[in-house]
Amino acid sequence: MVETSHMEELLKRPLYVYDLPPELLASLTAKTTSQPVAEQEPEPSPTDLEQAAQDSAIATSSLCSLCKVSYNSVQEQRSHVRSDHHRFNIKAQLRGNAPLDEAEFAKAIGELDESISGSESSETEEEDAEGGTDTTLAALLKKRAKLAHPNEDVETEGVPNTPKQPLLWLSSSSLPSNTSLGVYRAMLSNAEQDEPAHLVETLRRKQLAPIKARTNNKAQDAAVTGPHIFMCMIGGGHFAAMLVSLAPEIHRKQGGVEDRQARVIAHKTFHRYTTRRKQGGSQSASDASRGAAHSAGSSLRRYNEAALEKDIREVLSDWREMIDTAELLFVRATGKTNRKTLFGQYDGQVLRQNDPRLRGFPFNTRRATQGELMRSFKELTRLKVSQVDEAALAAAEAKRREQELKASTPVPKPQVQKPKLSKEEEAGLLHTSQIQALIRRSKVPALMSYITNNSIPPSFTFTPADSPQNFRCPTPLHLAAHHDAPAVVTALLTKAGSDPTAVNNEGRTPFELTGDRATRDAFRIARHDLGESEWDWEAARVPSAVSKADAESRAEKERKLAEEEESSQRKARLDRLKREEAERAATSRTTKSGARTVGGLEKTAAERRDEETRGMTPEMKMRLERERRARAAEERFRKMQGQ
Amino acid sequence: MAVRAQFENSNEVGVFSCLTNAYAIVAVGASENFYSVFESELQDVIPICHATIAGTRIVGRLIVGNRKGLLVPTTTTDQELQHLRNTLPDEVKIQRIEERLSALGNVICCNDHVAIVHPDLERETEEIIADVLGVEVFRQTVADNVLTGSYMALSNQGGIVHPKTSIRDQDELSSLLQVPLVAGSVNRGSPVVGAGMVVNDWLAITGLDTTATELSVVESVFRLGEMAPGGAAAGVNKDSIVESFY
Repeated sequence: MVETSHMEELLKRPLYVYDLPPELLASLTAKTTSQPVAEQEPEPSPTDLEQAAQDSAIATSSLCSLCKVSYNSVQEQRSHVRSDHHRFNIKAQLRGNAPLDEAEFAKAIGELDESISGSESSETEEEDAEGGTDTTLAALLKKRAKLAHPNEDVETEGVPNTPKQPLLWLSSSSLPSNTSLGVYRAMLSNAEQDEPAHLVETLRRKQLAPIKARTNNKAQDAAVTGPHIFMCMIGGGHFAAMLVSLAPEIHRKQGGVEDRQARVIAHKTFHRYTTRRKQGGSQSASDASRGAAHSAGSSLRRYNEAALEKDIREVLSDWREMIDTAELLFVRATGKTNRKTLFGQYDGQVLRQNDPRLRGFPFNTRRATQGELMRSFKELTRLKVSQVDEAALAAAEAKRREQELKASTPVPKPQVQKPKLSKEEEAGLLHTSQIQALIRRSKVPALMSYITNNSIPPSFTFTPADSPQNFRCPTPLHLAAHHDAPAVVTALLTKAGSDPTAVNNEGRTPFELTGDRATRDAFRIARHDLGESEWDWEAARVPSAVSKADAESRAEKERKLAEEEESSQRKARLDRLKREEAERAATSRTTKSGARTVGGLEKTAAERRDEETRGMTPEMKMRLERERRARAAEERFRKMQGQ
Repeated sequence: MAVRAQFENSNEVGVFSCLTNAYAIVAVGASENFYSVFESELQDVIPICHATIAGTRIVGRLIVGNRKGLLVPTTTTDQELQHLRNTLPDEVKIQRIEERLSALGNVICCNDHVAIVHPDLERETEEIIADVLGVEVFRQTVADNVLTGSYMALSNQGGIVHPKTSIRDQDELSSLLQVPLVAGSVNRGSPVVGAGMVVNDWLAITGLDTTATELSVVESVFRLGEMAPGGAAAGVNKDSIVESFY
């Protein structure tokens, strides 16, 4: 009895994978993988100093009415109030918008360009997730209802054909039977993952002695040489990387309380403005798909992308030694650009895509910040504690199965129909889709070779015949005519021997579906080429035959006619413009002279000259006069020569 | 102890003064009665500073402080800041804040442990508040009002919020702040409780118009006078008092 209470006490504290209590470690056994286990986060260690001062008059609230988030303690409430989620909702409420619940917020967080005080989202997710842990069954069902946690779905599924679960489960003989401990598969090396049976031995081997924080320099050395992992996240212009020692560090607090902390050997974060606001996506992606834009913002972002890449690569090469000796590399880099930044080919490349130590984060992560890295580290290195009653779980499972069965019974129709398709029908469907695509794109040679290669008969009709797209155009010829593809029509009629008299469900022949003269001419030329006896052209409703030369000459004639028309029209327009120009000039002249006369008598040329030279020095007047005379003389000479 | 006072015929004592556990600041003016109320209660206990902020007398709305620090807006002149530094105790940190919402008394409401602030306050301001005043800062609204400093009066013992605050919001705030709260009014029904009164752990000063019932609510929730621990009415349930008043 005493022992069990002691063990329960153990579970209250977070269990660090690399420093498990020896009594717990001794009693661990691995669970079989097919056993379904629900996850339950450990309670945070109670550190309430104000609890003692708490008065009966102080109300206790367990639900944020705005965000619909519940919490168990004041600490949780306070961290919730500080979270981005709550802040966003307060602002939304003030603006008259509807507040979002947690899942909606998580979904919207990437899209909204709301300013929520640029802070990182602290540890709310973890704390909110353990919301109502009254009964384990309730928690289990609630989690299943949640959409936003795909990895948990996998955990709780427990279906035999999901071989790779992110968590490996252990049980302990000293713990109650419904308690399981989970460790992330990603924390094991590839070789260790291959032999899940030896999970417990692996864990025992992994235990590390904690480091005392007193001797600062020594600890530093030990941390560098000791086992450590590298974690980095990159996305949206944010970059965060961290090297953490796996050996925990002991800090001695006041009163001799030992406090274990993760030892961060090195960390670095960058942020550059690289994402296109409101449109989303990175600048390089936009450049690649749409061509380079030349706005100020785009060049800023382009520069920032390059600078971020440079910064990141510098940091990586600075840490090269420690990254090379790291046990595991956790990297989150989605998108081409981000992966290229880390894994792209460059001189002095540090991270390689084929590195066996490389891992993704096996859970959702948020914006790349130091805090998020720390949270991920905690999440990865702490044992998950789950308390699930096996019987209740089995009952829930059975219920779910039943419901699934119920849900699946009303829709057996498509399942029954599908396997009935014969081989021929399948081939027909394939041919239909291929031929339709070729005709739509007017690929004549490809179409001909497809028809000859697959030896498709001239009488081929599209399947399924009752589908709406095949109602109007049941044969290739109908489709070609409908799409106004004269080349295809000619090829189908002359080479493939398609029947022009075939009618569609509206009783129309292909000719009647044509939309332009070129296609109609294709039919008439075919009638001429094939001869009157080949088909019943009257039934095909194709008018009289024309030879190719005739059609061409007619087209030529028409083209010439159109050109003439065009040129005469252009000429008429030019004439009109000229006329208008002349008229305008005339009117302007009259208005000009009219304006002169309004002031009084019209000025003589001598007067005008006087006016022009007024205010000039005598020398300038003389020069002007001389120029004028020279111009007059030149004019006279020209006139004489002209005569 | 809760007393009534008036500043030049105005009831809004929270506008013209600021009271904390370590100091009191009153506006410079012709209202000698107002000072004598402060002096009679606080003489030789904590320093009383006569000051203006940015040349105005509405010091209580422009500044905010607690036992550990004092925040003044960016409009405060250097002389005024120097005067405050000279008068207040040395352990009180004084900091000028560059903040768009410059009436700090209206947008921040704090005691010695927590602060409830306007949701739109800048991130830097929030950090300064946390550092200088040594408090945990929460962005919240009081009865859907963003002016937390105006609609809430808070001490380490308790707090009064806008009379129309819903019970649920009261519970949430009370749980967040870890002090008992009541919804109440001062100055004969004025909802601006933050601006209508000043309070610290042992003294509350309200406007002259405050009714006797309002005053006894103030005394009970802030545990002043005989309502204080060990007083005559100690242990009386808050709910029963409040119900009898409303």
